[in-house]
Amino acid sequence: MAEKPQPVRVLYCGVCSLPPEYCEFGSDFEKCKPWLIQNAPDLYPNLLKEANDKGADNVADKLQSTGISSGAGDGAASSAPKQEEVKRLPGGKIKKKDKQEVVIEKVVRNKRKCITTVKGLELFGVKLSDASKKLGKKFATGASVVKGPTEKEQIDVQGDIAYDIVEFITDTWPDVSETAIFFIEDGRKVPAA
Amino acid sequence: MFKKFSGEDVSAQNQVKASVQRKIRQSIAEEYPGLEPVLDDILPKKSPLIVAKCQNHLNLVLVNNVPLFFSVRDGPYMPTLRLLHQYPNIMKKLQVDRGAIRFVLAGANIMCPGLTSPGGFLDEDVGAEYPVAIMAEGKQHALAIGFTKMSAKDIKAINKGIGVDNLHYLNDGLWKMERLD
Repeated sequence: MAEKPQPVRVLYCGVCSLPPEYCEFGSDFEKCKPWLIQNAPDLYPNLLKEANDKGADNVADKLQSTGISSGAGDGAASSAPKQEEVKRLPGGKIKKKDKQEVVIEKVVRNKRKCITTVKGLELFGVKLSDASKKLGKKFATGASVVKGPTEKEQIDVQGDIAYDIVEFITDTWPDVSETAIFFIEDGRKVPAA
Repeated sequence: MFKKFSGEDVSAQNQVKASVQRKIRQSIAEEYPGLEPVLDDILPKKSPLIVAKCQNHLNLVLVNNVPLFFSVRDGPYMPTLRLLHQYPNIMKKLQVDRGAIRFVLAGANIMCPGLTSPGGFLDEDVGAEYPVAIMAEGKQHALAIGFTKMSAKDIKAINKGIGVDNLHYLNDGLWKMERLD
């Protein structure tokens, strides 16, 4: 008990966060490969050989000192948009991502008061709590994040703001295009644009 | 257990009172004698100990928002894999063969044949209902934390069915949750 056992510093893969030796069992071994070559080359000797073979084929790549990383970077950039479409569920199953769209619905209550619900903002990477705060501030009404049907979160804004909200959304979050915004009128989906 | 687990599953987290803190420290020290010299480093007396209650009677012990231990109902406290990787020798180890890694990392329970095959390794003193680290053939780090369903001797003798319940494995929800705010 004289000396303390020192904590072992474990290197984790920068891509999939697993210890590098388990990268081959991870969901995206291909993506990890460039990282592995740079950071843990001794773990996968075959990988390095493979990369070198590829480098030999491609003379232009070889000339650049950072051939491996830049080449991989380009590859990742071009395949990234496609990759984003599929979201991996735990267990390696692939789930299609929901279509990116914002759905706005006006719900009337007490005959003359309404609530505007906004669904789907989270699909654009918008933080709902921030969004509801912004909406509340802009329209000077109550706005909250509520659990909607089927466990999805939506924003409820008090008052009828259905028409002003389109501009506000496109202004505040440029990622959201006007064509991706829909109204629900009489149970039918109507594009806002 | 942590297959689908995220910050949303935490229903409440509070800083526990000193007496509970002491109890937790004591039970961890009892469970993992190898951890005793460094226990003060892991659970500093000064910084507050937070217990997060989650669904399914699950408790997480957090220090500085980092999950360090978890327990189910009143079961033993078990370290998270990140902590276990730092102090690999605190738990009894069982080793599975290479073929099983894929399934364990998908959350499967550990079946007896994977432990008794040539690639596997069994620590004979492990009893039933005991937290163990699951290692893998040819790998240096643990890949899962489990709770034995039968003793090591039984695993060898019966060699069939679930030997160890897989509680926490690499890349599950708890692994991905490096910090809990």
